[in-house]
Amino acid sequence: MLKAAYRIAWKDVAGDFRRRATLSSMLFFAISVLVVFQAAFEPDRKEALRLLPGLLWATTLFTTLVGLGRVFQAEEEDGAFEGLLLASVPRGVIFFGKWLGNLLLTLLVELMILPLTMVLFNVDVWRQAGEILGILTLGTVGLTGLGTLLAAMTQGARSRETLLALLLLPLTAPLLIAGVQAMAGILTGGEVTPWIRLMVIFDVIYLALTPWAFGWLVEE
Amino acid sequence: MPSEDSPQPTEVVSLTGAHHRFGRQHVLKGVDLTVRRGECVVLYGSNGSGKSTLLALLSTRYALRQGSYLLDGMDTARHGDETRDRLVFIGHHTHLYGHLTPVENLRFFADLRNLSPSEARLREAVAEVGLARVADKPSRWFSAGMRKRLALARMLLANPSLLLLDEPYSALDAQGVAWLNAMLIRYQEQGGAVVMASHDPDRVAVLRHLPHHLDRGILTPAPPPPRHEEPPPC
Amino acid sequence: MKFLARMQAPLGVLTLIALAVGLWMVWNAPADFQQGGAVRILYLHVPSAKMSLFCYVFLTIASIVHLWKRSETADILAEAATAVGISFTGITLASGAIWGKPMWGTWWAWDARLTSMLVLLILYKGLMVLRHSMDDPTKGARATAILAIVGAVDLPIIHYSVVWWRTLHQPPSLAAAEKSGIHISGPLLPPLLAMSVAFILMGVYMLTLKARQIEAQRKLDALEAARLHHE
Repeated sequence: MLKAAYRIAWKDVAGDFRRRATLSSMLFFAISVLVVFQAAFEPDRKEALRLLPGLLWATTLFTTLVGLGRVFQAEEEDGAFEGLLLASVPRGVIFFGKWLGNLLLTLLVELMILPLTMVLFNVDVWRQAGEILGILTLGTVGLTGLGTLLAAMTQGARSRETLLALLLLPLTAPLLIAGVQAMAGILTGGEVTPWIRLMVIFDVIYLALTPWAFGWLVEE
Repeated sequence: MPSEDSPQPTEVVSLTGAHHRFGRQHVLKGVDLTVRRGECVVLYGSNGSGKSTLLALLSTRYALRQGSYLLDGMDTARHGDETRDRLVFIGHHTHLYGHLTPVENLRFFADLRNLSPSEARLREAVAEVGLARVADKPSRWFSAGMRKRLALARMLLANPSLLLLDEPYSALDAQGVAWLNAMLIRYQEQGGAVVMASHDPDRVAVLRHLPHHLDRGILTPAPPPPRHEEPPPC
Repeated sequence: MKFLARMQAPLGVLTLIALAVGLWMVWNAPADFQQGGAVRILYLHVPSAKMSLFCYVFLTIASIVHLWKRSETADILAEAATAVGISFTGITLASGAIWGKPMWGTWWAWDARLTSMLVLLILYKGLMVLRHSMDDPTKGARATAILAIVGAVDLPIIHYSVVWWRTLHQPPSLAAAEKSGIHISGPLLPPLLAMSVAFILMGVYMLTLKARQIEAQRKLDALEAARLHHE
């Protein structure tokens, strides 16, 4: 059963490496966002450290949107999505596969964004890099989970990318708030655990809810 | 393909009282259909008569809200995911991924059905539909006919009890039509059941088949429509 | 729907009377010793905030019924509730800002409750846009219903995360002011109750009107489609 989910994820990730489509657009989009932030705020070293959680989260959020806009792109060529739904795999597993593929690609991009941000903004937080990545991962799980559902929901919608942003940003506000606060707690001292707990709760709720919602969505 | 001595019931499809509507529009109004092993049912009917909807219901893509549908004696409403294993539906779309090669496309299809064909079996299926030359090229640049052939290669892998085809002859050249018919005849002889929607009585003529007519959501057994009164739209 | 049509006119009259009585009571209510006359905007703010949330609860129930029973009436009511909810949320935000200007010296202070309301406003808007950006109305209805349920699960999480986040920065909020301003002093309670009743009536009246309008629109669209089909 999970083999099917893994195969779907593999198809998406391997397919993306072959075309270098989503991964590279996400990465270059992230770089341009960072450039915009530098130009807009011109932070010195001390400010940059204070701004870092926000910068990382805002960049992650925008970059995720780019990836999500494409999750179902390959499925829309020649009715491939219908083909998936005709397979004898429960809908939840199909959703899980699509989500896993998107999660892997997004995490890969984040892995590259973190050192880039440190270099571009001249901050040195290599010692906390592991913890920062951990928090980013925790946030990305919920972000891509809910995002993949919304991407499926907006399939066939007009001006889909805008719609996706309009829907995803308010619904994932808790992850943004908790992620920024937790990261700030790690970098400058402050409470971390309650925010981590909030993110875990969010992730668990949505990983339980989204496969079910996806099943309802595609039923006809 | 299912062999003659398998213990399955002879009725592959047993659909009774199927209704379907989109919003306020009733598309199927009480359709009954029985298809036995080795039979081929051909659905004729004008555009919008409900052929594609009926095929979508038979493929279990659309959930049946009224009536009952047994596939190989199993209630599809209760065993949705398992019954889907017993049929292959090839519609207007080929469900292919452009960035994957024919072999990879077939392997992906097989993986989702929990089949584990060997690499050699996959290549054999690709060769059988005449695509050996391009077996390792991404299928993005294939012509419509090549894509159709690759889509049809799926039935060679899956050994379904039921084969659903929506306008299978579209995009195929004369050679392709002959090839498809040969394949269908073989499949029928081995006890497979086919339901096909077609505009084209000429091409189906070589198959031993039961013509049905679908008109505004009502299905009746009927002779095939007179040949070439209207040009085939595909 | 026929029942709604018959109810509509009496309901409208009743709403007008209730609003008149409520506003008269607000006019004659004593000014707060701390907040002065500005407290009166809360009589508008609090009931409309309650209605914003109430509409969402109604919308969620209608969405569940629509998914479960495939009922078109439930879908029409859900669409109507979205439109009514977004207006109440707008009133809540505007009245909150008007109250904030004399109290905080600024229109907008990222008060936790108002921030949650702002998120709710965006969510309502998202529901409306999602529905109308789909070419197939059946699909649009289903996607919107699922989004409404996802949002219903999310709203409490959003609310608590915003509250935790904002209480880090500034404890006094509109909620605290409401507590000191209304729930404690007795003479302020009757006008609030009267306004709440008036707002509930107004909400039901708006819902009725909107639901009937949507139903008529859909019938018209179906006729138009049938006409095109025959040509």
